Amino acid sequence: MKNPILEAKGISKSFGNIKALDDVDFFLKKGIIHGLLGENGAGKSSLMNILSGIYIPEKGTLTINGQLIKRLNPDLASSYGIGMVHQEFRLIDSFSIKDNLTLSKSNIYQNDFNEAFAKYSDIFALNLNSMTPISELSVGEKQKVEIMKLIFNNSSIMLLDEPTAVLTPQETVQLKESLETLSQEDEKTIVLITHKLKEIKDFTETIYVMKNGKMVAKDLDTKAVSDTQLIELMMGEVKTSKFDKNNFKGDTKLEAVDISFTSEQDIKTLQNVSLEIKSGEVLGVAGVSGNGQVELANIICGIIKDFEGRVIVKTKDVTGKGVKSRKKLNLSYIPENRLGVGLAPGVSVLDNSAIKEYFQASFGPHLSKNVLLNSLNDLINKFSIKAPDIKAEISTLSGGNMQKLLMGRELISNPDVIIAAQPTRGLDVSAVDSIHNLIIDQRDKGSAILLISEDLDELFKLSDRLIVMYEGKVITEIETELATVENIGLAMAGINE
Amino acid sequence: MNKFIISKKLYRNELATFYSFLIGFLIAIVIGSIILLIQSKNPFDVFSLMLKLSIGSVNSLSNSLNKAIPLILAGLGIAIINSVKLWNIGAEGQIFFGAIALNFVYINTSIENSYLYILLLLASGFIGGSICIFLPALSKVLFGVNEIITTLLTNYIVFGLTIYLINGVWKDPNSLNFPAAAYVSESVYLPTVVGKLSSGFLICILFTLIAYYIKDKSVFGYEMRIAGGSTLTAVYAGISAKQKSFVAMLIGGGFAGLAGAIELLSQTHRVSTGISQGFGYTAIIVAAITGMRPLGIFLVGSLFGALAIGGSVIQTIGVSSYISDIIQATTLFGALIAQFFFSYEIKRVKDD
Repeated sequence: MKNPILEAKGISKSFGNIKALDDVDFFLKKGIIHGLLGENGAGKSSLMNILSGIYIPEKGTLTINGQLIKRLNPDLASSYGIGMVHQEFRLIDSFSIKDNLTLSKSNIYQNDFNEAFAKYSDIFALNLNSMTPISELSVGEKQKVEIMKLIFNNSSIMLLDEPTAVLTPQETVQLKESLETLSQEDEKTIVLITHKLKEIKDFTETIYVMKNGKMVAKDLDTKAVSDTQLIELMMGEVKTSKFDKNNFKGDTKLEAVDISFTSEQDIKTLQNVSLEIKSGEVLGVAGVSGNGQVELANIICGIIKDFEGRVIVKTKDVTGKGVKSRKKLNLSYIPENRLGVGLAPGVSVLDNSAIKEYFQASFGPHLSKNVLLNSLNDLINKFSIKAPDIKAEISTLSGGNMQKLLMGRELISNPDVIIAAQPTRGLDVSAVDSIHNLIIDQRDKGSAILLISEDLDELFKLSDRLIVMYEGKVITEIETELATVENIGLAMAGINE
Repeated sequence: MNKFIISKKLYRNELATFYSFLIGFLIAIVIGSIILLIQSKNPFDVFSLMLKLSIGSVNSLSNSLNKAIPLILAGLGIAIINSVKLWNIGAEGQIFFGAIALNFVYINTSIENSYLYILLLLASGFIGGSICIFLPALSKVLFGVNEIITTLLTNYIVFGLTIYLINGVWKDPNSLNFPAAAYVSESVYLPTVVGKLSSGFLICILFTLIAYYIKDKSVFGYEMRIAGGSTLTAVYAGISAKQKSFVAMLIGGGFAGLAGAIELLSQTHRVSTGISQGFGYTAIIVAAITGMRPLGIFLVGSLFGALAIGGSVIQTIGVSSYISDIIQATTLFGALIAQFFFSYEIKRVKDD
């Protein structure tokens, strides 16, 4: 067995009270494609940022090529040959491909650019003139240039953060071939960071799995490990705590019929999805994120309008209508992205508390501040929100209180339909409990609830029924009573028994 | 090893903007004094003369407030547009276009009742300002073209148009070859209230209250704040950020256009290059110093009006009027620096 080219031992890093990385070990072997698997927020990106010198760890040691590194910074990391492709591209749009590739001072193909460009264009199947400006490239082509940039900057360790998120299936196959060539011929060490099981199985030779800031599995042989094992590692232990499920179910409140949606990048994000939720029922949507859940929620809530199929809220067909039509039918949406979608950053707590029903405080063009203040006081009391200064920006609240304000704002009207996406992500245990209780309370008051979550524990605890989404399709539908972590996990990996 | 980091303060003093302004103004007075000392003038004498001649009598005070009208109105327009986090650099052009629109309506219409006529002319000034910002607003919401560039460039176009009109079709044959349009009839002059104070100042007070209402008390203002905070939140809330931006820009442009109309009806009485002396640019300073608050714009605009009058009168004792420009600009500079220290803190962190 080869000696590791890079060795990270006992790495810890905190942000405020949150431990992003807790005693993490990570080893890279030369010329091999490694997979780093984990849910959103598991700590993958934090670890990569430490390896590329952007974050300084609080504890732990880093050894590169057998040499102990005291303190890494981005410049130093690149001189050790560590390069990273971030999820957001870092290319200069108005510059040509050549300029972008040769921009860095560590560029090694200054004189023989043309030969090198020809060679790697071949490997990446990139049929473009090197003088083409980046702005004329497709997303997939930009991705290729990003990875080529690492090679031109003499990176021997290439960290790729979710490189396939923006690619079509064909481009993904192409990328796999290119990476294999690079690892075999150029002996590049590659780390593929992803939460997509299928790709990690296809692309890599060895797999690391992270969960809640910990490395829960190291150096697993990709060929020997099963999908179920990986899912279990990624999801962690599923507790059996459940709420009483003898809830009364009434009439159908939400119906989505045969929904299909093709994204702007021409990717079929949703294919023939149908679902139905009754009053007093929680339908859980399981699935690794990025399999169409966000789009489904946005379609049901009226944010995306150009889809096929129909959306029916309380027997009323709202297909083609906007957000406000849903609000009139008392549908609430708790979006996955709290600060940025559900709450407007830079705007006061008071203003943010009124986003759902501010027009109820209006008299013609006049907006009554007293009505807003009273509603906010109601929210603060009812949902025990800690808001020291309601005129201050929303970001003065803690994450838990922000989510309580958002939930409270959406729930206080006792909505008929609730769409909740990742309602507890990133919250501490006590906040999670109180959010769960809110959802169950609302179920018992007769709301029809669509709960989208990556947290299997949460889904099993709250849902009456579960559907699993995979590549834009509902791959399994099952009563929670009959579901097991194994069969849900397999369905999440795209395997339907 | 010590490292310094800059982080945003979570809580800001409510009066931070006001204190920042005071600090900025103080710095400006100090720097102004230094410049005067270098020129061997006694700063105390110069400033007391400025004070006396800008607010010392009813006449000088009304001169100052008349001067403040366009600064305040254009500043309010800039503040309304900034509610959706957009910048209007085109107030100068909108002021001119307001006057041009007024003159166009004046030439082509006639109403017996002079009060009704004045109202019509003021309205055409407002609409002229909106027309002036129409293309920048449209290209912003349709194609995302940067409004800072387009509103700025519109200034040059409108100034060129003004020159063309007053040298061409609108040129007054009785102006002894001075490029200007013909005077409007005395019957549509804005009446004065006290001393030389134009009734335009009352309109100014009214529009300050209107701007305050729009920004702080109306549904539209609320929707603008949300859209300015995050476009995605606006979409989620069912608020059309584009529609709000478009309407805000038309209203804001109208405020500046109204300033041009008042300037014509109370000061120049005709379209000429003297309609604005950079009021649209100074208004940006006024709006920025006050953190885009209408009542603050009213106060700082009035002060800047007095500074401009003070600056022009001290020329009689051989001091350049640019001293008041320096004070205005340094006030903004100082206030912005002070605002930074109210909004951010610099912490020293020890690492390793």
